Amino acid sequence: MRRISGYFTSLLIFFTAGNLMAQDTVLFPLKLRAGIDIAGPGIYLSDRNNFSMEGYFSFDKSEKMAFVLESGYLNYKYSQYNYDYTSKGVFARLGVDFNLLKPEMSLGKYWAGIGLRYGISLFNSETPSFQSENYWGTVTSSIPAKKAMGHFIEVSPGVKTEIFRNFSMGWTIRLKLLISGGGGKDLTPIYFPGYGNGGKRTAAGISYFITWNIPYKTKTVITKPEPVEEEPEETSTQNTGSNF
Amino acid sequence: MKKPGHLFFALLITVCSALIISCTPGACFEETNAYLKATFYSNITKVKKTPESLTLFGLNKTDTIYKKKSGVQPALFPLDASSGSCTFIISINNVTDTMHIFYSTYPHLISKECGYTFYHKLDTAYTTGNAFYIYKNSDNITTANEENIRIFY
Repeated sequence: MRRISGYFTSLLIFFTAGNLMAQDTVLFPLKLRAGIDIAGPGIYLSDRNNFSMEGYFSFDKSEKMAFVLESGYLNYKYSQYNYDYTSKGVFARLGVDFNLLKPEMSLGKYWAGIGLRYGISLFNSETPSFQSENYWGTVTSSIPAKKAMGHFIEVSPGVKTEIFRNFSMGWTIRLKLLISGGGGKDLTPIYFPGYGNGGKRTAAGISYFITWNIPYKTKTVITKPEPVEEEPEETSTQNTGSNF
Repeated sequence: MKKPGHLFFALLITVCSALIISCTPGACFEETNAYLKATFYSNITKVKKTPESLTLFGLNKTDTIYKKKSGVQPALFPLDASSGSCTFIISINNVTDTMHIFYSTYPHLISKECGYTFYHKLDTAYTTGNAFYIYKNSDNITTANEENIRIFY
């Protein structure tokens, strides 16, 4: 009986050791990041009525997840045949980024994943003039500047890659869902910082970030072992079972 | 190990879709005027009845809104946003009366593409000649298809 249990223990040690031998590890640098968006100034070059600046800080909690704080400023002017509109203010987004790449592929240099954000916007919007026309003629009026607060949530898939040591570039698509635009049901903001067209329940945008990465810790990540063939283990279990 | 190409391809599709949606130029396809909507009823049977002939125009206005038009149900009364009241001359089946409408006005954003319009809150509506009886159903005069008054003739 002692010999049988000894044999069984040896088998267990053998297979456990086998598993340990199959494990791979990767040294993964966890980083602090600070980035600026160059899409906003880029858009401003072609549309002088839409000036936006945006930056972000992020902090890697693990090789898969990072906390993110983004903030920015918008000065927006819009004019069409029947009204003029201005919107100016700041916004902040708070959320997390999930890296969908495996650690051995990412190595802290590449990121392809999805972010989730909650956004808040504080802004002033004004309609210096608008016209409405009907049977009785044309009426010209205005809506004075008013402070408002908007809320939204965001899903932001994207990619980033390291181009130089500790510097990376990448883009993020922003798919936004409006919670509240402020201004009430009659005077919803036409456009507000961080979100875009306040008259629509959903909005989309793009950011192109240049990022400075600061490694603050190196984490040893155990990557998944290659699948171990199950047959010998099943055989041993059956044998052991018959012995006991 | 899965190829990362699939992930990048999926992200590329997302990018293109989002850009196409966000960059599509907008045009105004919505109703931009908030009319007072009046439905016609028979004063005898009290059921909905479309006039055989309707003429409607604003007091001191030369152009008509409806001119001996048949099959109008409901009638749309445009209101003057620069004033708190409007007076119309209304003729139903060749019976004519003067109709006064009192209301308040406030601006409303339709959309970025269409801009602003004026909505109204209906206060009172009545005829001076008492040829027709008016019943107020809803005081919200908006671009929505909502009956505001009933005209019994």
